[in-house]
Amino acid sequence: MAFRRLHVDWLIFLSIPFKLKYLRKLLPFVVIATVIMIAMTTFRSGAQISKSGSSMENLASVSTSTSSPSGSTTTSATTTTEAKPKPPSVNTGPLLYESSGTPASKSQVEQGKIYFDQSCSSCHGMGAEGSSRAPNLVGLGPATIDFWLTTGRMPLSNTIVQPERKPPRYDPSQSLDIVAYVTSLGPGGPLIPNISGVPNASIAEGASLFALNCAGCHTITGAGDELASGAYAPSLHQATPTQVAEAIRTGPANMPRFSPGIMTNRQVNDIVKYVTQSIQHPNNAGGFGLGGVGPVAEGFVGLLIGVGILMLFALWIGDRS
Amino acid sequence: MSEQEVTSTDNVGKNEDEIDPAQDPRLELLAKKPDQMEKLIALCFVVAIVCFVAMMVFYVKGSSTQVEGALMAVGFGGLGVGMVAWGKYLMPKGPFEEERHLIGSTEEDQKAFADVFIGRGTVAVKRRSFLGKLLGLATAVFGIFALGPIMDSLGPNPGKALDSTAWKKGSKVVSEHGRAIKVDDLEVGGFMTVFPEGNVGSYDGQTLLIRAGSSDIVTMAGRETWGPKGYLAYSKVCTHAGCPISLYQQETEQLLCPCHQSLFNVLQAAEPVFGPAPRPLPQLPLAIDKNGYIVAQAGYNEPIGPGYWNF
Amino acid sequence: MPSLLKKDKPKQTGAEKATAGAKWLDDRLGLAKGGRVFFNKIFPDHWSFMLGEIALYSFVVLLVTGVFLTLYYVPSADMMTYHGSYAPLKGTQVSAAYNSTLAISFNVRFGLLVRQMHHWAADIFLGAIAVHMCRVFFTGAFRRPRELNWIVGVTLLILGISNGFLGYSLPDDLISGTGLRIMFSVVESIPVVGTHLAFWLFGGNYPGNGVIIPRMYMLHVLLVPAIMVALVGAHLALLVKQKHTQFSGPGKTEKNVVGTPMWPGFMFKTQGYFFLVVAVLAGLGGWAQINPIWQYGQYFPYKVSYAVQPDWYMGWLDGALRIMPSWEFQNFGYMIPNMFFPSVLLPGIAFNIFIVWPFIEAKVRKDYKEHHLLERPRDNPWRTSIGAGALAFFFMLFAASSTDVLANYFNISLNLVLWFFRFATYIIPFIVSAVTYKMCLELQALGQYGGRRKRFNVVLRTAEGEYLSVKTPARPGDLDILSGEEEEPLELTEQVSQKLRESAELIGVSGSESTKVQPPADEGVRTVERD
Repeated sequence: MAFRRLHVDWLIFLSIPFKLKYLRKLLPFVVIATVIMIAMTTFRSGAQISKSGSSMENLASVSTSTSSPSGSTTTSATTTTEAKPKPPSVNTGPLLYESSGTPASKSQVEQGKIYFDQSCSSCHGMGAEGSSRAPNLVGLGPATIDFWLTTGRMPLSNTIVQPERKPPRYDPSQSLDIVAYVTSLGPGGPLIPNISGVPNASIAEGASLFALNCAGCHTITGAGDELASGAYAPSLHQATPTQVAEAIRTGPANMPRFSPGIMTNRQVNDIVKYVTQSIQHPNNAGGFGLGGVGPVAEGFVGLLIGVGILMLFALWIGDRS
Repeated sequence: MSEQEVTSTDNVGKNEDEIDPAQDPRLELLAKKPDQMEKLIALCFVVAIVCFVAMMVFYVKGSSTQVEGALMAVGFGGLGVGMVAWGKYLMPKGPFEEERHLIGSTEEDQKAFADVFIGRGTVAVKRRSFLGKLLGLATAVFGIFALGPIMDSLGPNPGKALDSTAWKKGSKVVSEHGRAIKVDDLEVGGFMTVFPEGNVGSYDGQTLLIRAGSSDIVTMAGRETWGPKGYLAYSKVCTHAGCPISLYQQETEQLLCPCHQSLFNVLQAAEPVFGPAPRPLPQLPLAIDKNGYIVAQAGYNEPIGPGYWNF
Repeated sequence: MPSLLKKDKPKQTGAEKATAGAKWLDDRLGLAKGGRVFFNKIFPDHWSFMLGEIALYSFVVLLVTGVFLTLYYVPSADMMTYHGSYAPLKGTQVSAAYNSTLAISFNVRFGLLVRQMHHWAADIFLGAIAVHMCRVFFTGAFRRPRELNWIVGVTLLILGISNGFLGYSLPDDLISGTGLRIMFSVVESIPVVGTHLAFWLFGGNYPGNGVIIPRMYMLHVLLVPAIMVALVGAHLALLVKQKHTQFSGPGKTEKNVVGTPMWPGFMFKTQGYFFLVVAVLAGLGGWAQINPIWQYGQYFPYKVSYAVQPDWYMGWLDGALRIMPSWEFQNFGYMIPNMFFPSVLLPGIAFNIFIVWPFIEAKVRKDYKEHHLLERPRDNPWRTSIGAGALAFFFMLFAASSTDVLANYFNISLNLVLWFFRFATYIIPFIVSAVTYKMCLELQALGQYGGRRKRFNVVLRTAEGEYLSVKTPARPGDLDILSGEEEEPLELTEQVSQKLRESAELIGVSGSESTKVQPPADEGVRTVERD
């Protein structure tokens, strides 16, 4: 047609400038409030980032000093206090597993050094001693290193407050090489936990322990949720049994550490079984689980779908004039 | 006003009676092809019958909630759609009209009522006003009596119940399973829920035992000896709404309440740093006995949990 | 009446029987006259009048499913070992209440469906009440003579919320137990009498001696529903007595009601709608899992899950608790706790404003007349903008109750989300109010041209670059919606015509043969049929 036409039945109010003088008077307050809001939030998150960086280092140094009473007071690279009967091998590297007394081989350590130099040393330093950007890894123990590598959180793709789970860069055996190498640099820290007892563990006991110790952050359905200061409790739905046990024992990032004095191996296995069975394969007998986030999602479904459909029916039944 | 008074309710349906039904457009149907519509509605009802029969079968056989829900939804959906369609398309389409009358009574009616109420009743009652007062008094006395049994049945008076907990001097710190906690049980960065020995599972005894890096702890005056070897114990009951605080962020050394996100600084006497909680979590003074068990030096020195009017 | 019943006449025997039965009843009760009036009661056809019916029928579903659930539910906090069929909890300690709810969910046929339907019905009952209340509010249906019915409705809302919370707490699962603890703190926070009330309610200091579950059960299935049934009855009785309101339109006046009579048209429609409500609830109950308590586990006072929220109708109170600054007032050794302001004072003020709103508005507008014709929201910009602002306020509070979920979902800091809500909850309602006010005025301006056909504005750009907004001329058959008379075609002012002509010429359109603007071609015209 000839004219550029526009339907303005409803949109017309947009074309007319606001004449409400009250709004204009309010404007300075709104601006000030927004500025204060932004200032406070940036101040907070900024402080948080710097704090978490420093406490990361604290964590590393502290754990080297305090984990000694529980495990290895010997300075040898092989912490063989628990695995006495094993024949000493010529090619021994450090011990990695709680379950088997077989230490890693020298070749694993050497292979691990290659991977480490490629992917980790730029931040953690050539000797894994840490830098201004990343914490010391010496003495953290095999379980910690294995957890961060196998969950794909390390190597980092970008520096954010809390690393996220992603597909791991190294396959399990390669990860183990790195673990062997880092562990060979210094003793201490928890070994990769023994989860052979999981098939015989008690789900009921696991459920009870989970509600007391884990649900507080990870939620009772394991969906995970946001914590304070930019941290978050990740979803448990992708975790492998070993990773669950490692996380319990080592306390990655903001998670507290549940040492054997708090939780026995059997209890850890109970939790592992509960997480990998009931949490990861929930019984959704009632239909779609709606994300397992409870009443918020339920409210939206009830109001939007339930009341929504009924209002559509009402539109059919009644007049629409 | 006057017009409405004249119109009596009996005339409501007058219009329908006067108009010849054959020519009244309001009695026409909305459906263009009523027979076809009838078949559709019949289909709806048949669907409902099929669904309900299937429900009977599945009730006997047993099935999943999804099958049950789907059958019930489709069944009742069929009934609903059929009935609405019947009412909407196969019944007189209207619109019909009903007259509306002033809701309030006429002045004569109001006056007549007042005459009856005041004239007959009030005089008889007012003449014996003393009896009325006595009647009121009797009821009031019974009411006061009734307060006793009602309040006793409901529950006790608070008294000092909110001021103290089961913790006292020398209470051993035990786990959920009743195991006494030794000084080496927690690593730095570890935490657990503990109770006073003999009161496992008690609501007001629940306490968070945290082992923090001892070098970072900012000790408040008067609490120098409360945290031996980096152990800190705070009431697990939030000072805001009384939820159990279970979120220990060991890296940032913070406790987060899961209900309303109050944040407490573990290293500084659990001072609230964020969210609605107004007061720090009460701290339990700890000691280590000669066998290496963690015990309480004393009970909490302030009431735990949310605020209340201490009356 | 006879004309309406004409279709049934061929069935002689059946009709005769019915007549005889009706006569027997009438001889004893004298119902014919009143029954005739009742069956002649006119229900307006507009769809928005069906919103209250959603609530009514959800309520019926609640009663029916609720009775079924009472056959299995055990209101007791006694602890026992679980031996039911949900494997992960076998051998754990559970309360009898939780045990029986698990049994309903897993061991009773149709049990889980009924339980979920009951819960969805509660959510939708209150949702429908909210929507219905909005309709009543924004159209001014609460004005004289319907103030009492408005108050009855608000009371029903309050009772519905309370009973929803009570029912939500009955299964004794981890999440509802946490909610119950918060409720104890809420009651406790009331100045002077708070601790006494809390102790009386729970039978002692939290968690009480196991009396709270039987008490809540009594309230949930007996006391509150009995009051609600009575009030629903009063709500409907007042509706019949006072007759429906209606929107203005052709033939609709203050002195009549236009629509479908109770019998048979409306009866069939509304009965069908009841079945549709049941159908939707059954669909949700069967396919959308709600409150899977078996995943939550038994409540213990020292266990808790993160991401705990109440059901949506309590969400705004939870949100208010979250965004409250950490203030607490302590004077002369007495404390007014932080919880008091958001969880006692706020709902107290809110519900009291709801209740007295009809009187406030009548006083402010000095309008004490009877009203049976509804106002469109635009007709009363002040009320509409206040209502929209209040809605925005409650919505913001509701959204604030899921700060953690929002922060997790959008991957932003929890602290930032909370600070946002601390300000936005108060700012956004004012913005919404202002925009609504403006919109109302604009819609009013459009409204006087509202006829049978929507007439729209044309925005033109002249050769000088000036923009003009011109209403298209009326066309034959355009009726004024209020008077029902044919509208006069609108003559454009000479100045505008001139400009239009010039611009038309400029872009090479031959519009010069008439001084009137060419009516837009049919393809661009959106016609809206109005009955």
